[in-house]
Amino acid sequence: MKNSDWKAVLHFIGPLLMAEGILMALCLIPAWHFADGTAPQTALCSAVTFAVGAFLHFRFRHFRNIKDRRMSYLLVVLLWIVLSLFATLPFLASGATHSFTYAWFEAMSGFSTCGATIFPDVAALPASILLWRSMMQWFGGFGIVLLVLALTPKLGINKYALYTAEASGADNAGTGAVRAVVTVRRTLTVYLGMTLFFILALLAAGMQAWDAVNLTFCNISSGGFAPASDSIASLTPLQQYILAGAMFFSGVNFTLLYLLFTFRWRKMKHKFDELNSYLFLCIVAVAFVVVFLHTNSGLPWSDAFRVGTVQTISALTTTGSVVADYTLWPVPVTFLLLILAICGGMAGSTSGGLKTMRVLILFRNARAILRNRLHPHIVNPVRLNGKPVTGHISNNVMVIFIVFGGTLMLGVMGLMLCGVSPTEAIGASVGCLTGYGPGLGASGGFGSYAHFSFPALWYCSFLMLMGRLECMTLIILLLPRFWKR
Amino acid sequence: MARLAGLLTLTMAGGMLLPVAASFYYADGAQYALIFATLLMGAVGLFLRNIAGRNATYDLRERESFWITSVVWITVPLCGAIPYLMTGTLQSFTDAAFESISGFSTTGSSVIVRPEAIPQSLLLWRSMTQWIGGLGLILLVVALLRRLSGGSLKLYAAEFSGTQQRKLHPHIAKSVMRMWFIYSFITVLLIVLLALAGNSALDSVCLALSTVSTGGFMTAQFGLTGYSGLTLGILTVFMFLSGVNVALLYNLFTLKWRRFKVNHEFVLYAVLFFFAALSCFVAFSIANGNFTLENLGFSLFHIASTVSTCGFYTEGPAVWPFWPSVLTFMLILSGACAGSTGGGLKLRRLMVLFLYMRNYLTRMVHPHVVFSIKIDHKVVPGDYVNKIFGFLFLYICFIIGGAFLLTISGSSVADAFCLASANISNLGPSPLINSLGANLEYASLPLLSKWTLMVLMLAGRLEIFALLAIVSPSYWKRR
Repeated sequence: MKNSDWKAVLHFIGPLLMAEGILMALCLIPAWHFADGTAPQTALCSAVTFAVGAFLHFRFRHFRNIKDRRMSYLLVVLLWIVLSLFATLPFLASGATHSFTYAWFEAMSGFSTCGATIFPDVAALPASILLWRSMMQWFGGFGIVLLVLALTPKLGINKYALYTAEASGADNAGTGAVRAVVTVRRTLTVYLGMTLFFILALLAAGMQAWDAVNLTFCNISSGGFAPASDSIASLTPLQQYILAGAMFFSGVNFTLLYLLFTFRWRKMKHKFDELNSYLFLCIVAVAFVVVFLHTNSGLPWSDAFRVGTVQTISALTTTGSVVADYTLWPVPVTFLLLILAICGGMAGSTSGGLKTMRVLILFRNARAILRNRLHPHIVNPVRLNGKPVTGHISNNVMVIFIVFGGTLMLGVMGLMLCGVSPTEAIGASVGCLTGYGPGLGASGGFGSYAHFSFPALWYCSFLMLMGRLECMTLIILLLPRFWKR
Repeated sequence: MARLAGLLTLTMAGGMLLPVAASFYYADGAQYALIFATLLMGAVGLFLRNIAGRNATYDLRERESFWITSVVWITVPLCGAIPYLMTGTLQSFTDAAFESISGFSTTGSSVIVRPEAIPQSLLLWRSMTQWIGGLGLILLVVALLRRLSGGSLKLYAAEFSGTQQRKLHPHIAKSVMRMWFIYSFITVLLIVLLALAGNSALDSVCLALSTVSTGGFMTAQFGLTGYSGLTLGILTVFMFLSGVNVALLYNLFTLKWRRFKVNHEFVLYAVLFFFAALSCFVAFSIANGNFTLENLGFSLFHIASTVSTCGFYTEGPAVWPFWPSVLTFMLILSGACAGSTGGGLKLRRLMVLFLYMRNYLTRMVHPHVVFSIKIDHKVVPGDYVNKIFGFLFLYICFIIGGAFLLTISGSSVADAFCLASANISNLGPSPLINSLGANLEYASLPLLSKWTLMVLMLAGRLEIFALLAIVSPSYWKRR
């Protein structure tokens, strides 16, 4: 890869660092308002980040083209790593934690909208840090790449390569510069609109502005952080339901939401397949969980319904907000929650996991194969949204499925090697890779990852990155073939 | 097609005559039960063949082969369950069905806690179910090949869906006869060797039958603990052999040794076995503090048992470190060679998968390069890959679904996964599964667990598609 390509990469990272710096500066507001004493440190971090970003952007302003396709993969990964690196600064500077590992874990968890936290006592953190966490999730949820796409008309890199690098899979956002920009604009509009809406809704439901902003940021991005140690358990039922709504919508394809909110319902009809699966999963899972909780845990219907619905939606959309300590629930229910997290939300939303679209394709593919064996002469294509899914796409989905599963297994084993108990390893592996967040055992429910060993934490951070970048992007970087001339 | 099912059932019934004879020899009171069951099987077979299949046409399609496979694999085990009930060895229908299905699917999960206490001919019956089950597909085709108009391969495929078979000889009939011959020969050889090693006649026969079919029923309460090292060694070798493609084994007799090296799947199998055993040995020795021959022997035995999905158990080192457990789990899933009686995902499928993934990653970097997947220097067609993927996905779905049901009936998550995996891979008992207790018996599991596991066993044996075929509504639609 050419030297100029590397410089172009740095050039692109610049503006995003600057944006990050600006976000950090926004955290000065709570620092002043709550007078938590971190104002000078926050200002310093913000200035440093912004300065570095400006420097990179300015210094390499002549390198605007990436000629090598492989560089786009590298760009995405580097972007994520660099942004997370600078995101650790507020944690370290404000004294919230003194260990770089911890700061890195929290930063990665924030940007990848995982929601696994390293702080057992969240409420004791300074206000600016609390906002920073929520900010990271909000920012990360939207997807930094979408922002890059918005900038691409000027930059001229291979947009399709970049997009596939970040959201590989059978998404129908399409190719072409115009369509990409349109998608970005729509997504951004929906995202901002929903954020505003849910903040207002929470305010109307009696929540303080501070909590409303933080919680909305964390939930609309399928993140899972919260400004309290017990996540969302202490809120009023109405507030919990509103947040569940936010989570639910965060798991829906944003283009679909745009069409919904702008009343172009006829256009929506073509994209219903995945939505149907999403709804179906939601309803069936919620029904099962609620009934099981009522019959096996003896919770009254109202409680079971509230807790079951909210936690199930939280799991399916891989948000990770915890409404009750689900580690105390019957094993089948916890098992189901993990499976839901693996399934994930719809493609083109902020949630993680495998994405419902892929699961749907896998099932339809299997069904088609079965039918093919029974009636070998019938032409029987797999259809999604009325369009046939070629064998090529099916195989690609299958590959991602296998890589995902393999990474999960390796995650469990690796964590066990780092000294984590088997149950917790399974929970943490699923939690970090899918972006759900909390796992099982002491790191699940209202707990934190603080008791994990350092190697385990690094491994979890790695899993978070893998999950966010949909595995393949990272794996390809690990191949020696990638680096050959 | 009923005719063919009938023929098959008859043949299987024929195989069960041996235990019947044994029961007279041992005079242990089980005669009537065994005779009844065998006659019932024979009757069903006759019925299917002569009455239901009276106006049979011999044009066989794949969907019919699914029907035949499923019918046979359900009625025969049901008949096979009768002796357990009639002799009072097992009380509930669930238990009897469990044992029988475990037999015919060559899994080896047993609900009989003390095999020494049951009638001896029943022990023989048990092991016989495994042998017959293991060779079921061969008998299937032997019984059918003369009549079929060209569908015999498809029938073959019904049981081994998704894998490629290495043909011995262009004419399928001869190939199958040869396979049958190999199996019988190996079984007899093993019986003789075991007897020479000092085991009783009954033990030798039962163990041999269970080994060659990679089943795993054992004749003593504590598994194979306490058997002589020589016996265990012999069993290790034969377990290893049983996991190899039968067609390939034929080359042992014709002394074409080079064929073994050329067959990539076998090479993988052997290499896997070697490294797994070695690493286990090292892990055990480090954890237990002593590099003894015993540990080596146990490692070889355990890995051979796992990799061929046999499921024999013997007492091992006191401390089980992390690595052997993980390795065991992975080997359970990966299974034996295609074309053997072993279970699991089959190494051939994994090879295709791996090569495809490598392809995929290369294409991500160099999108215009074209590769094809080659195994044994022959190209694997594209839609094959798709089918293998589909199989893999369904396999995993079954494991997850099975594990889910198991957690509902009370297992922990880790146990549920191990149980589901072990049974769908037709392994049987495994030291990984905590809830099985020290003697690895399935008797104490709740009802839902047992039925779930039975479905999993059948699914694994019939390679899922055959099982799904009859429950899918599109199967029953008019063509």
